[in-house]
Amino acid sequence: MQHTLQAPKKWRVKPEKLVRVLGVLFFVYLFFGFMLIPCLNTLTQIFTTKDAAGNTDPWAVIRFFFAGSMGKYVLNSLKLALCLVVTVNVVGVSSVLLTEYFDIKGAKILRMGYMTTLIYSGVALVTGYLFLYDKDGMITTLLVNAFPGMNPNWFSGFNAVLFTMTFACTSNHMLFLRNAIRGIDYNTVEAARNLGAKPFKVLWKVVFPTLIPTMFSLTIMTFITGLCAMSAPTLLGFDSINPEIVRLAGSSIADEAFPQARAALLSIILASFTIILLTALSAYERKGHYLSVSKTKAKLVKQKITNPVANVFAHIYAYVLFIIYMTPVVMIVVFSFQTYGAIRMKKLDVSNWTLLNFFGQADYEYLTSRGTTKTRVGSISGLFNNDATLGGIKLSFLLSILAAALACIIVVVACNYIFKHKKTGVALEYSLLFPWLLPTILICYSYRTFFNSDDIFYVFNNNLYFMNNVKFLIILAYTVVRLPFSLRMIKASFYAIDEELEDAAKNLGASPLRTFTKVKLPIILPSVLAVFALNFNYLFTEYDMSATFASSYGTSYAMVIQSMCQDEGLYGYNINASGRRCASTVFIMIVSGLILYLVYGIGARDLAERIDARNRWKKRGKRISALFRPSKAVAEEEEKLT
Amino acid sequence: MIDLNHIVVKFGDFTALHDINVHVKEGEFFTFLGPSGCGKTTTLRTITGFIEPAEGTVFMKDRDITHVPIEERSIGIVFQSYALFPTMTVYDNIAFGLKVKKLKKTEIDQKVRLIAKKVDLTDEQLKKAVSQLSGGQQQRVAIARALVTEPAIICMDEPLSNLDAKLRVQLRNELKAMQKEFGITTIYVTHDQEEALTLSDRIAVFNKGCIEQIGTPNEVYNGSQTEFVCNFIGDINLLDTEISAELAKKNSAILATNHNYIRLERVQLNVPPTDQVVVLDGVVESREYYGLYIKYYINVGHQTIKAIEKNDGINLHEPGDKLKVGIDAAHIMAYPAEA
Repeated sequence: MQHTLQAPKKWRVKPEKLVRVLGVLFFVYLFFGFMLIPCLNTLTQIFTTKDAAGNTDPWAVIRFFFAGSMGKYVLNSLKLALCLVVTVNVVGVSSVLLTEYFDIKGAKILRMGYMTTLIYSGVALVTGYLFLYDKDGMITTLLVNAFPGMNPNWFSGFNAVLFTMTFACTSNHMLFLRNAIRGIDYNTVEAARNLGAKPFKVLWKVVFPTLIPTMFSLTIMTFITGLCAMSAPTLLGFDSINPEIVRLAGSSIADEAFPQARAALLSIILASFTIILLTALSAYERKGHYLSVSKTKAKLVKQKITNPVANVFAHIYAYVLFIIYMTPVVMIVVFSFQTYGAIRMKKLDVSNWTLLNFFGQADYEYLTSRGTTKTRVGSISGLFNNDATLGGIKLSFLLSILAAALACIIVVVACNYIFKHKKTGVALEYSLLFPWLLPTILICYSYRTFFNSDDIFYVFNNNLYFMNNVKFLIILAYTVVRLPFSLRMIKASFYAIDEELEDAAKNLGASPLRTFTKVKLPIILPSVLAVFALNFNYLFTEYDMSATFASSYGTSYAMVIQSMCQDEGLYGYNINASGRRCASTVFIMIVSGLILYLVYGIGARDLAERIDARNRWKKRGKRISALFRPSKAVAEEEEKLT
Repeated sequence: MIDLNHIVVKFGDFTALHDINVHVKEGEFFTFLGPSGCGKTTTLRTITGFIEPAEGTVFMKDRDITHVPIEERSIGIVFQSYALFPTMTVYDNIAFGLKVKKLKKTEIDQKVRLIAKKVDLTDEQLKKAVSQLSGGQQQRVAIARALVTEPAIICMDEPLSNLDAKLRVQLRNELKAMQKEFGITTIYVTHDQEEALTLSDRIAVFNKGCIEQIGTPNEVYNGSQTEFVCNFIGDINLLDTEISAELAKKNSAILATNHNYIRLERVQLNVPPTDQVVVLDGVVESREYYGLYIKYYINVGHQTIKAIEKNDGINLHEPGDKLKVGIDAAHIMAYPAEA
């Protein structure tokens, strides 16, 4: 038997393997460190409350829940969620049908009005509604004058929250239900009509069934939105779960019984509802959808309402909705250019327009109780000249842009792994979807309590809720909260990559990195940028999370806007807060609108459209330069071009 | 040029390819033909390196490439979907492989323009996005991209299947001309028998992960070695036992117990009986008009016989017409009946 001496094998790690191992470690760290452990800590808080003697009483907070008034918050939130499901679906479905399915005059304008909530939402929208419908608001004053018996305080509490959120939460209907309706094969409608079905029967028996999956998802999402409502109940005064959690989180044991444990219990109750609803949703989604079997889909043709009475009624209803949507937007824009006096009186002064709510500073002179006049220097300041507002804008801009980008990067890397490793990819996918199961408030509350410590080894014993560290904590929370949405959207774009493209690149000798950067990334980039922009839009004006963290080191833009409602004009301070609030809303609408245009308008162009646009610009440039050149040269050039 | 020796490919418990043996000669246009799921694309992907066989070897120019990475095999591929990179211009698509090889810019430019010229792509088209080209032009880009790196062979996976019928015929001819011009060994996958017959120097007919027959188009069509090949290539009549018995009386080589077939174009209409031809009385049931020829369905009592006749525009038979249907024993393709 012949033996040959073999050189000892050199232990060599392939760079790809090393990157994969590091990636897996990162995701494990992210999931356990910033999703599971902080939330489990919140759960344990419920059962580790101590009585006056310092003994642990695991059931104290549960007993408190049933004995005290905590149940009220849960019931109120459930009531709001249930009512919202009805009102949002009625308004949302009718808006979509009126603009997409029925032939209503001026549908394009109506659609624009109904879609304003895409750029005008959250705190900005609530403060706008307050501006109009508050006890001394313009619309309320008009209504009280018209109906003297009417309660001027009608816009507060449950009614106000329901009204505001009904119109604020139809954005998803305008996006997703609209797409679903536009995806209907018109041949099916024609077939039903041909078989003798009347228009309403066609709508009920042919169109609606195809919309049921979308409607179901929208209903669940609306219910969750209602349960987790934050800015509207806070600003309009309604006792629901989320504002109570934030209040308890900031309370101390000296003021009331175990506030943190109660906040934790409410968060867990909220999480339980969310988990049940989302489980129902995914079980329903797994059942499958109605898919069009048509190979040649026909574009939907708008249906005329043949009954004249119904037609008039539909038009009136459509335009009333339009007025409800548009009035706050128009009023806010108009009043943002008005003086503080006009804004305070809520009366339009057409002879006096100003840019002071946006730019510049002015002194404020006022009469004291002693009859003397005082001047508060620089008390009137524009949006971009007010330190607090500008600070909020800068901070929100920075934190949002970082978190939006981080969420996208993490998800792109994860999706690349998920599509390559089907089995282990599932675990990664579920771990990134985990924050979807939890209400935002639970995640933020958990962060606030868990990372408010020097003993967390995996963040190198840094207290992340201490001074400027809170900014890092907010970025983390923002990122984690946006992961599920980013994953769902970006994963869908990965499906668009033809597997043969990867094979082709491989066959032409490209490395996995080159294949990813040169072939796959450019394909998914428009979707990634869209998700980035939507993440940024959401975070830039978000209120719930930063309010939960409630730190002077992390005062977000939305919190600044919210604070503008509170101390306006008190002792001559903050005198044009309402004007700045209007200006802020206009600013937010411009930023959001611009981003949506960049993403869906310019960013969605494919290469062919970009080349066409470039050629058009070249031609225009040539035409302009031709104006300055002798005609013979131009003629020669034109000949060349043709 | 390419040798597949005893290739076995398994996907879990499922064996996709059973003992595949193929020898493709240099410069040959070789086609893998078969129905969906028969293993032709799997064989192609084994050659290109996307699939590693469980057993067997792949040789290219006498070099064992069974375990050689895809990018080192020097095999160009034209994919079914063309797999053109949608975010790159036509020029960048063609130049991709050259850039990966880190060639100089001037060299890349020269090679791209040369190959573009050969496949009839203009400078203007090179600047366009691939989505701005027609299906036929896209196919040319895919071919140019595969050829520009000067591979030893080129593999094409149903590259005409996404095109409409007329363009398919036009590009089929162009493809053949291009292959002759470049003189490159080509392996072509298709389920379209007409495409295989018109394009190929030789054809391998696949069925259920095995090769049923390898031969020239004529050998495969007129000398189908198995009943599957005979049935798969072209339309054919399976004669019932009564006709087979009649034929057996005329020609002792024919067994009535066999499965006896005759191709449509070999069925003779209105011919007198001879010692080799069985003539049956038939009535035209229906006809299909193809322009160049007409296909008749003729009831001969116990079965319907299909026959085609050149469309001369004069001697057309109407449904209900009585005809004499002649079956020549010399044209029978016989296969033993399975137990």
